[in-house]
Amino acid sequence: MITRRSILAALSAVAILSAGGVAHAQDKVYIPLISKGFQHQFWQAVKAGADKAATEFKVEVTFEGPDNETQVDKQIDMLSAALAKSPQAIGFAALDTQAATPLLKQAQDAKIPVIAFDSGVDSDIPLTTATTDNVAAAALAADKMAELIGGKGKVALVVHDQTSRTGIDRRDGFVNRMKEKHPDIEIVDIQYGGGDQLQSTEIAKAILAANSDLKGFFGANEGSAIGVVNAVRETGAKGVTVIGYDSGAAQKQAIKDGVMAGAITQNPVGIGYETVKAAVMAIKGEELPKTIDTGFFWYDKTNMDSPEISAVLYD
Amino acid sequence: MVELIRLESIDKHFPGVHALKSVSFDLQTGEVHALMGENGAGKSTLMKVLSGILQPDGGTIRVAGNDVTIPSPHAAQALGIGMIHQELALMNDLTVAQNIFIGREPRKRFWRLDEDALNEAAREIFSAMNVSIDPRAEVRTLSVAQQQMVEIAKSLSHKSRVLVMDEPTAALNDREVHELFTIIARLKSEGVGIVYISHKMDEIKRISDRVTVMRDGAYVGTVSASETPISKIISMMVGRELDNTQADIPDLSGAPVALEVRGLSRGKEVQNVSFSLKAGEILGFAGLMGAGRTEVARLIFGADRRDAGEIIVHGKKAAIASPKDAVSAGIGYLSEDRKHLGLALGLDLAANVGLPNLGRFSNGIGVIDDAKLGSIARDYIKQLGIRTPSERQEVRLLSGGNQQKVVLAKWLLRNCDILIFDEPTRGIDIGAKSEIYRLMQALAQQGKAIIVISSELPEVLRLSHRIAVMCEGRLTGILPGGRETTQEEIMHLATQRRVEIGGEAA
Amino acid sequence: MTMIVQSEVKKRTSSGVHQKLLAFASLIIMLVFFSLASSNFLQTSNIIGILQATSVNGVLAVGVTLVIITGGIDLSVGTLMTFTAVIAGVVLTYLGMPLLFGIVAAIGAGAFCGFISGTLVARMKVPPFIATLGMMLILKGTSLVISGTKPIYFNNTPGFSQISTGSLIGQVFPFLPIPNGVLILFVVATVVAFILNRTALGRYTFALGSNEEAARLSGVDTDFWKICVYSLSGGICGVAGLIIASRLNSAQPALGLGYELDAIAAVVIGGTSLAGGRGSILGTIIGAFIMSVLLNGLRIMSVAQEWQTIVTGLIIILAVYADMVRRQRT
Repeated sequence: MITRRSILAALSAVAILSAGGVAHAQDKVYIPLISKGFQHQFWQAVKAGADKAATEFKVEVTFEGPDNETQVDKQIDMLSAALAKSPQAIGFAALDTQAATPLLKQAQDAKIPVIAFDSGVDSDIPLTTATTDNVAAAALAADKMAELIGGKGKVALVVHDQTSRTGIDRRDGFVNRMKEKHPDIEIVDIQYGGGDQLQSTEIAKAILAANSDLKGFFGANEGSAIGVVNAVRETGAKGVTVIGYDSGAAQKQAIKDGVMAGAITQNPVGIGYETVKAAVMAIKGEELPKTIDTGFFWYDKTNMDSPEISAVLYD
Repeated sequence: MVELIRLESIDKHFPGVHALKSVSFDLQTGEVHALMGENGAGKSTLMKVLSGILQPDGGTIRVAGNDVTIPSPHAAQALGIGMIHQELALMNDLTVAQNIFIGREPRKRFWRLDEDALNEAAREIFSAMNVSIDPRAEVRTLSVAQQQMVEIAKSLSHKSRVLVMDEPTAALNDREVHELFTIIARLKSEGVGIVYISHKMDEIKRISDRVTVMRDGAYVGTVSASETPISKIISMMVGRELDNTQADIPDLSGAPVALEVRGLSRGKEVQNVSFSLKAGEILGFAGLMGAGRTEVARLIFGADRRDAGEIIVHGKKAAIASPKDAVSAGIGYLSEDRKHLGLALGLDLAANVGLPNLGRFSNGIGVIDDAKLGSIARDYIKQLGIRTPSERQEVRLLSGGNQQKVVLAKWLLRNCDILIFDEPTRGIDIGAKSEIYRLMQALAQQGKAIIVISSELPEVLRLSHRIAVMCEGRLTGILPGGRETTQEEIMHLATQRRVEIGGEAA
Repeated sequence: MTMIVQSEVKKRTSSGVHQKLLAFASLIIMLVFFSLASSNFLQTSNIIGILQATSVNGVLAVGVTLVIITGGIDLSVGTLMTFTAVIAGVVLTYLGMPLLFGIVAAIGAGAFCGFISGTLVARMKVPPFIATLGMMLILKGTSLVISGTKPIYFNNTPGFSQISTGSLIGQVFPFLPIPNGVLILFVVATVVAFILNRTALGRYTFALGSNEEAARLSGVDTDFWKICVYSLSGGICGVAGLIIASRLNSAQPALGLGYELDAIAAVVIGGTSLAGGRGSILGTIIGAFIMSVLLNGLRIMSVAQEWQTIVTGLIIILAVYADMVRRQRT
C-alpha cells in the first residue's frame, strides 16, 4: 500500500504548497497571462511588470509559459486550463496563432477579452497587442553596428530561432537595413542557436573561426548575445564589435567590460505592465488602440546607468 | 537400430583455443549415448554445433543419412534435434506454457494465439511426465528444479527424434531424477536417440547404452556402458589414473574462531544460516544449483543486504553493510564470475592487484606510486606462480587459472585473513586446478580461514576440513571432511527439500 | 501418480493487476483531490482539455511501451512524431493530395523510421539508446530541412483538423463531446493491447525483454520480431504525429524534443519495467493520464509554474519507487 500512502503524502504536499496560490478570492478580477516562455530573464521581467500592474489595479494575475518556444501544444494545454478557470480577461503571446485559434474563439464566445503581448497573436480576436516593434529595433541595431565599424566590413548574426516572429523580424530588420543603408557591409553568416547560450557559443565560435576578419557580430536575443560574448572571450578574437539584444546580468556585465559595444533593450517590464493594464481597461469596456508600442532603447556603457534605461533593464 | 546422427571430424576454433579437434560422434535410434569428459573437454561445444548454436570450422554433419548444415537453433529443431541447456534458457516473465511453446504457438483466427490450447498441450506434457506444474504459472515463481522440468517438457514438446540433455539432473533430487529416467526410458522405446551429458557415473551406468569420452577437445573413444568399468571411463577422461588425494585434516581444536555467522537470512534465498569457521580451516559449501551458497557468501561480504543475522569476526560483532565494510573486517571474496565481478579485464595485472589497495600506493594528493605497485605485483607473481610475461600484461590475456590467482593476490595484499572462494576452479584446466588446490591448502596452513563454494563434489571432498551442505536456502547439515563422508551423504542433505514431504504423502 | 514437484505459484496475472489497481487508485485519488480543491476542475471543457492533452503523449507512450518491454528504449518518438506530421504536411499541403494519402504517408513514414531503428538495433547491434538517440537528431534535422524550417499549415485540407478536434462520439451523443484524438488514443491502445496479449508479436515482445537469448535458442527469429516491434512503435508515432498536427492545424518542425521523456515517464509510472519483460498498455494509459491530470490540476489550482515542475518530478520518482518497493516485497 506504499503507493497510495506516498501519493497521498505528495498530494497533501501539493495542497500545502498551493495554499498560497489558491487563495485568490473569487470576487477579485482574475487575469491569467500565457506567455511564450517562462524561465528566461526576459519573461521573468514581463512577469514582474504584470505583477506590478496587478498590485496597482488590485487584480489577480498568474503567469505561465512552456519551457521552450517549440512546445506549441504545451502552450495550448496551458491556455485551455486557463480558460477553464473562467477568467475575466486573458493575456496571450502565441507560439502559433493557428493552433490557438479554436481556443481563442472559445474565449471570444465566452466574452473573455484577449490581450496579445510580445510577438502577439496573428488574428483579429485580441483587442490589442502590447509589443516591441522588433523590425525597427533590429534596424536600430544595424545602424549602430554600421556606425561602430565604420560603414564597411563583414558582419555575422546568431539568431535564436528561424520560425518565430521575433526571430524573423529581428533578423530581417537587421539584414534589410544593412542592404538598404549600408551596402558596404557584408552579412557573411546567419546561424540559429535556439536561444540556448551554450549552443549559441559553439555556433559563434565556429563563425569566428571561419571568418578571421569579422568586424561585427549581432546576437538577436539574450541567449544568442551571451553566446556571442562567450565565443569572443574564449577565442580572444580582437576587433569584433558585438551588439546584443535584451538585457540580463551577463549582458550588462559584458557591456561594462567592453566586450559588447551595446545592445537593444525592449521594455519587458512595460510589456507585462501594459498587457495587464489593457486587460483591466477591456474589462471596464474602455476603448483600446490596435497596438500598444511598449518601446525599445539602445543602451551602452554611457547610458546604462541612467534612470530612464536602468528602469527597463533586468538582471 | 538406425543411424540418426553422424558427426565426422568436427573442428572448431575459438580465438586462442582449439575447442574441437576432429571429433566424431554418432547416435542410433532408441539409444542413450552418454558424452563424458571433464569441464572444458568440449562436450558442450560439440553439442552446440549439433544444435545449430555454433558453426563448425570443418567436418560433416549427417542427419538420417543426409549431409546437412545446421545454421541456427531453428534449423536444428526442423531436423528434429532438441536441446536441454545446462544454463536454464527460460523467459522468466512468461508463463510455463508460453515458454514451452515459444516460437510455435497454436493460432486462432485474426492472428490470435490460442492460449487455451497452449495451456492444455502443456498440461498434457506434464501429465505424461508425471509432474505437477501449473502451465499458467510465471516461470520466475518456480524453483530451480521446476524450471529444469519445464526445460525438459519444452524439448519433449518438440517431438524431437534427437534429444541432447546437458546435465539435466544438476538441480534434481533423487525422486525427480527417477522420474526423468522413466521419461528417458519411454522415449528410448519410442525410438528417440538421446545424447546424455553428465558427470555422474552412477547415472551413466543406469541409463546409457554407449559412452563416448572427450578430453581437451579431442575424441578419446567410445565404449559400451554396461561392459566398461567406471575406473576405465574415468581414466579415459583424465588421461591418467584418478588422483585419490583426500584432505589432510589438521587438528584445529586449539585454533581461534575467525568467523561466526548466526541466523543469516535474506528472503527465500537464505534462511537462518549459522556456522563458524576457525583460523586455518577450510569449510566447503556443497549444494545444488540455486541452493543459496553464493547468496550466503554475498551476505557475509556485504554485497547484498541481509534481513537478519549477525556476522562475528575474530570474536567481535562486525557491522557489515557493504563490501567495503567486509574488506576492512578482513574478508575477501573471490567471486563465481571472475570476469564480471572480480577483475577489470582491460587493465593490467598490477593495476588489478592494486585496485582495492590504491590508498596504500598513492601519496597525499592521490598520485599513484606505480613503481612500488609494480614491485609488489612481481612479488605476488612469484609467490603465487602466476604465469605472465610481466606485471603489465592485460588480465584478459591470462588463462582462467592465472586470472584466479590475480584475484587472490588482490585480497592477500589487502591482508584479508578470511577468504571466500566461490567456484574457484570453474573453467580452469586440470593442471591449474591442482595448483589452485595447493595454494588454498598453503593459505590455510598459514592460518587463513577459507570458505570454498563448489558444485563439484570431488573438489569439495578433496579440499574441505568440514562440509556445509545447503538446500533451498537452508543449511541442512555440516559433515566432517575426509574419508568419513561420501558423495551420497552430501547429496542426501543437498536434496532435503521441504516440499518433498508433501510429495511423499501422495 | 505421484506429484513430484509441488507448485505453489501465483497466477501470472496477479502482480500485474495489483500494480494497475494501485496506479488506478492513485489516479482516482488525484481526480477527487483536484475536484475538491477547485470547482473549475470538473467542468466539461476542462475534462476535454485533459483528454486532449493526454491524447498525444498517450499514443506515444503506447508505442514506446512496446519497445521498452523488449528491453530497449526509443528516444526518437518525439521527433519521429514531428517528422510524420511534416510528411503529412508535405503530402497534403505541398502536394495537395487527398486526406487519406496524408494519413497513410504519416503512418507509413513512422513505420519506416521505426524499421530503420529496429534494423540498427537488431541486425547491426547498435545499442537502442544510441541508435534511437541518433534517429532523434536525424529526424529533428530532417523535419526542419523538409519543412524549410517553417510550420506547414493544413488550411487547404479542411477535414484534417477533424482528425483530432472533431468529435464522432459527440455527433452520436451530443452530451459527450469527446474529441476524436482521445477516441484514437483508445483505439490505438486497444489494438496494441490486443497485439501484446493475444498475438505472436506480443508474445515475442515479452520474450525478447525477458530473455532474448532463450528466445533465440528456442528458434524464434528474434531480430525479425524486434524489427517488427520498432516498426509498429514507429507507425504509432505516425498516429501521434497526425493527432498533434491536426490539433495544431499545422506541422511544427521544431517541436518534439523532450516528448520522448514524457512518454517514457508515463510508461514507467504505469508499471512497465525499464529492464524489459513486463508491462501493460492499460498501465501506460493510466500513467499518461496521471501525468496530464496532475499538470492540469496544478494549473487549475494556480500553483506557480516552478512548483508544478517540482511536484511532477516528485510524483514520477514516488510512483516508480513505490513500484520497486512492492516488487521487492513479493
